[in-house]
Amino acid sequence: MKPGTADLFRTLTMMRLVLFMAWSDVRARYKRSVLGPLWITLGTAIGVVGLGFVWSELFHMDRGTFIPLLTLGLILWQYISGSIMESTRVFTLQVSLIRNLDLPISFHPAQLLLRQMINFAHTIPLFIVVFLILGKPFALVNLLAIPAFVLVSLNLFWIILMFGILGARFRDLEYLVNMIMPLLMFLSPVMFRPNALPFSGELLLLNPMTYLIEIVRQPLLGEMPTLSIVTGNLVLLVIGGGLSLALFNKKRDRVALWV
Amino acid sequence: MGAKLTFDNVTIQYPIYNNRTMSLRNHLVRISTGGKIEGETGSIQIVTALRNASFKIDHGDAVALIGHNGAGKSTLLRTMAGVYMPVEGTIQREGRVATVLELGAGMDPELTGYENIIRMSRLMGATPAEIAERTSEIESFTQLGDFLQLPVRTYSSGMATRLMFAVATSTKPDILLVDEIFGTGDAEFQMRAKARMEALIRSVGIFVFASHSNNLVRRYCNRFFFLEHGTIKEIDKSDVPEDN
Repeated sequence: MKPGTADLFRTLTMMRLVLFMAWSDVRARYKRSVLGPLWITLGTAIGVVGLGFVWSELFHMDRGTFIPLLTLGLILWQYISGSIMESTRVFTLQVSLIRNLDLPISFHPAQLLLRQMINFAHTIPLFIVVFLILGKPFALVNLLAIPAFVLVSLNLFWIILMFGILGARFRDLEYLVNMIMPLLMFLSPVMFRPNALPFSGELLLLNPMTYLIEIVRQPLLGEMPTLSIVTGNLVLLVIGGGLSLALFNKKRDRVALWV
Repeated sequence: MGAKLTFDNVTIQYPIYNNRTMSLRNHLVRISTGGKIEGETGSIQIVTALRNASFKIDHGDAVALIGHNGAGKSTLLRTMAGVYMPVEGTIQREGRVATVLELGAGMDPELTGYENIIRMSRLMGATPAEIAERTSEIESFTQLGDFLQLPVRTYSSGMATRLMFAVATSTKPDILLVDEIFGTGDAEFQMRAKARMEALIRSVGIFVFASHSNNLVRRYCNRFFFLEHGTIKEIDKSDVPEDN
């Protein structure tokens, strides 16, 4: 077995420890705050209320339509951009672990992704509240969001792994990603739907973020995920995941020397 | 089961990137110009930290790694631990490995002493049941008492060292790799640390110890590897002079 593949399998056998570490990180992060990770929930809630009232008028959209899509857009964006922004430093921040313990290298990307999932889980109540207030009925199609979320997470995993390796070797990548991500938020369908743009709706399909957001949001808004969005995610996973694995197989043993 | 550590023709090379070769810009420039300005962008220096190392360490061996700073002692320890992978050669390792290299890997200052005991121990491969078993012994060794319920950031550096040392030495490995035993803490703690280390050394199958102190290595080790510029030469105990 190639070194990267073997490393990934080793991480798979240690998922309990990865989860423990992710929890432990979240606990340490919010140790001295009263609300703890509920700050994530609160912050998003304020964002939704504030932006929801202003932007719904700006976009000439009915609040009942706009607020649910904004809520979903924001919590998904936080999950996606949080994972990508931290990805470039996923190995360089763990240098003492990497150089002193014989842990698999892919342990750290898995830990980062699980930590982001824990943060994401804290925003789920918000989204439930919004839907209850608006009285949206539950539909079976909503459940498709679960496999969609898994697909998005797998895509994020290869992105973290790839950016982590590249970020350990090329330290500029961190600044580049930090510069691009906030901009990308406005070029992604976070606060609107792709079809809401009069001219450039098609252009959005060139932005990978569009696929990652829409595949989870569509079923939660009660729509069947469109074929192009599902295909886009699968293509990302096969091509991106393949490239990421090839890179990891080639450079896995170098990461400990680069950090 | 007996512990075993075999190196066959192992070579370890480090790339050293200066800040110019680390940057993406220079890499792109180099690609786009077909490598013509290689000299200007700063070349990647390859340091051979270990050259064609071959040896066999068996159960019951206590090996000293001696040599000047930068001779490759820490690199060799990390290679033995499986952190660094050789570019050439093969390594066979049998038995559970524990390292006492840089203390405190995985410690989070915001978490309490108890939480850090669990965190560091689990990273070292201990199961929750094993950790529960060891905790009382770590408590009594560190003598930190109620401080263990407080965040580690409130500890003095000596107290933090006691905790890190206690956790690092709480495992029961087959192969123990130690880098330079430190002189931190007060005299009383140093005595107890020494006793604890000696008990641990007696319990393991293989002990590898990198140190600048000839007296210490003469005391604990029965084999002596002299490292110079990445090459290993096994020497006799009589070749290791006593410190004054």
